[in-house]
Amino acid sequence: MVKAKKGVGVAIWIGAILLLLVLPLFIARFYVYMAAIIMLFGLLATSNNFPLGFGGIYQFHHAVFYGVGAYTTAVMVTKFGYPFWVSAIAGPLMSAFISLVMGLICIRLSKLYFGMLQISLGSLIWVIVYRWYSFTGGDDGIHGITLPDVLSSYSGAYYFTLIVTGLCLYCMYRIIKSPYGIVLQGIRDNPVRSEMVGVNVRLHQLLALVIAGFFAGVAGILFVVVDNTVFPDMLFWALSMETIIMCLLGGWLTFMGPMLGAAVIMALRTFVSAYTVYWALVLGIIMVLVIFFLPNGILGWFTGKFSSRTERVEEHEFKNIRPETD
Amino acid sequence: MLRAEGLTKSFSGFRAVNNATLHVKKGEIVAVIGPNGAGKTTLFNLITGILRPDAGKVLFKGEDITGLRPYEVCRKRITRSFQVVNVFSRLTVFENVRVAVLSRERKTWNLFTPATKIATEETARILDSVGLGAKATRVSAALSHGDRKVLEIAVALGGNPEFLILDEPTAGMSPEETSRCIDLIKHLSEQLGLTILFCEHDMELVFAIANRIMVMVRGATIIQGTCEEVRCNQAVQDAYLGGSEAECLM
Amino acid sequence: MDLIYSIVPPGVLCQVFVGLSRTVILFIVSSGLSLILGVLRIPNVAHGSLYMIGAFMAFSISTVAGGGSAGFWLALVGAPLAVALISLIAERSLFQYLYEREHLMLLLLTFALSLVFGDLVKLVWGGEYKSVPVPRIFQGFVPLFGGLPFPLYNVFLLFVGPVVAVALWLFVNKTKIGKIARAAAVDREMVGAVGINVSWVFASVFVVGCLLAGLGGVLVAPTVSVTLGMDHTLIIEAFLIVIMGGLGNIWGALLGALIFGLTQSLGILIWPQFGIIFPYLAVVVVLLFRPTGLLKSTW
Repeated sequence: MVKAKKGVGVAIWIGAILLLLVLPLFIARFYVYMAAIIMLFGLLATSNNFPLGFGGIYQFHHAVFYGVGAYTTAVMVTKFGYPFWVSAIAGPLMSAFISLVMGLICIRLSKLYFGMLQISLGSLIWVIVYRWYSFTGGDDGIHGITLPDVLSSYSGAYYFTLIVTGLCLYCMYRIIKSPYGIVLQGIRDNPVRSEMVGVNVRLHQLLALVIAGFFAGVAGILFVVVDNTVFPDMLFWALSMETIIMCLLGGWLTFMGPMLGAAVIMALRTFVSAYTVYWALVLGIIMVLVIFFLPNGILGWFTGKFSSRTERVEEHEFKNIRPETD
Repeated sequence: MLRAEGLTKSFSGFRAVNNATLHVKKGEIVAVIGPNGAGKTTLFNLITGILRPDAGKVLFKGEDITGLRPYEVCRKRITRSFQVVNVFSRLTVFENVRVAVLSRERKTWNLFTPATKIATEETARILDSVGLGAKATRVSAALSHGDRKVLEIAVALGGNPEFLILDEPTAGMSPEETSRCIDLIKHLSEQLGLTILFCEHDMELVFAIANRIMVMVRGATIIQGTCEEVRCNQAVQDAYLGGSEAECLM
Repeated sequence: MDLIYSIVPPGVLCQVFVGLSRTVILFIVSSGLSLILGVLRIPNVAHGSLYMIGAFMAFSISTVAGGGSAGFWLALVGAPLAVALISLIAERSLFQYLYEREHLMLLLLTFALSLVFGDLVKLVWGGEYKSVPVPRIFQGFVPLFGGLPFPLYNVFLLFVGPVVAVALWLFVNKTKIGKIARAAAVDREMVGAVGINVSWVFASVFVVGCLLAGLGGVLVAPTVSVTLGMDHTLIIEAFLIVIMGGLGNIWGALLGALIFGLTQSLGILIWPQFGIIFPYLAVVVVLLFRPTGLLKSTW
């Protein structure tokens, strides 16, 4: 029975990968662009879920690391003339570095305080980017970033995004399944217990933040490749909230949930925006419905359906046995 | 092996622990008893580093461990279970213990090897020794209360301790579960040579397994001695046991 | 007076006081946010939207009442009440079922509501700038600070600020609801166990907090163009003030608003392009030294 389930799972994966590989050959360029956008936002959401869903850290302003990665690359290419590939590596490294610095400042606080301090620091960075016209292009952003030939076509950008996203997801998956990943989830469920079994909780959380920041930066440079621009809203707290919504909608306790959430949100946005200008209203209503009826997200709901009672935790039971926190 | 001297801790003016002392010799089973609110859990928190004492010292094997962070205390091979069930609720029983073992083996920074390949035998062994082997794949939140309390102990064992602190290990357990727990504690002491410090409200249990007993009332140590000494002590009787002197064997 | 002017030029003092009157609005809104955060532990992202609704409502009420002074006073009473009603509906129908869930869910719910309210404003009032006229009594200037003209309306604001502060203090410390709310902030279960209907206490606190947001919106309306996007700028500022002052602490909100407003005014004076960074920097500096805020938080 388990083997049959596994077989089906593998088949689905192979099918999906094949589909993704041949996609640009038979759909319009706009949809190729959308597919790439979905993938990179899926990567962003997954990297947000790394500390959030698997680490229990209130990562409320993840967009900062995304924006920093993108801007670093953009500025290095346009203002300093560095070659693209060098800038593309510098981007995520800068994001990881900023993540480390912010982490060191914020990690001594827990839960809500952490989230709010991260929002403050992130807003500071946003304001600086927004105002520093000469360096970052301010409100206008930076446009027309020159890319290497292989990446400048729609399908080139698409395949690059596909490969990079695939690699990053694989990396994060391995990390989640590693001893570190299990310990991180333990910290999510019970930081006090984790300390009491000998885990230096702060240090492990800090690493989670750096990893998350790095992959957010990768998503940032993917956006530069796909869209060729950067703009200050990439660092705005509203984008961070949307990313969290993607995680929640897809299922924040699952690995592929955020990617699914990103796909759903992006697809919905494109679809709904064709009919009405009130996309925010629709998104807000969807969110309310998800919060009340699908708290484990779409994928969470699915895995709940297919696993036995003892293999999962119902959200409403969980709250009763959780130790007093805050 | 463990000496706590003059431990004091106040919370906003309320003295939870007041100059408490405790001695535990290697291989002993010592119980701490006292009415609710006497400060037993706070005492345990002070010993294990979750709280810093305002005054006093904790010495383990001659080394001063006062004020060490909990994970550092754990590295010295002192582990504990908690009064209110405190496990990793979303993880399975197996993974709960595995976390403790991984931490013990210092493998928590391994980012790439699948966790299923590491620390599996040791985890299985511990789970079997406490009798939870059959339920290893269950999510810990789905266990019965009694099983979760046993899981607490299993997680504490994952750290390969020399000194085990159990905070009300049988609270809320059925009589059958309680007697299995008593057997487990005896097994841990006799077969594995662990030194055990625990607190309980079940007096029969205490008198059944403890070598010595420390009595706390309102944060202070009233007496520490053998079962007989404690049972016959007037102050203890007045404050806590409310027992008749006829119980006292001369 | 001249002694002061020799140290601080009257122009600067004037700017500072204009900034201070803006601070009053920040304080009013932030105190509401802090109240909700302290007692209900909800980071109310929708607070900015409610502020915006307050401003737009002021426009509508004022326009319907003929655009004169009477319109403003009507709006001053009516708009906050309208906002309070909206928040009551939201709390009873949505929030109260989520108190036992994780903070994240509550935060996301308020974010969802901010999205909904934002678009509802767009739907009802359209996308153009609106303006609310200053009531006749407060039009014009008064010569202060060495003869420099100081807007009379800002003087009004400088009076309103302390009034609201005192009223709020009385509510929190002297009324029965306020005292229960403070107890509930610290120990929710205990208050429930004593037999008090915590649910209605929470609802009241939430409504009062949101009413303050609406009030802020009405008060600011005559001084700025009422537009979409007001919510976004305000919510970040309000959050930063609350974090800086100490979660749940009303005086902290006052202190935070003062620091925020002053650093902003002075910052823009000193360095026009980047002056706006100064308040953000101030928040970061404060939090580096006192991570939980300047004053004690309620939990």
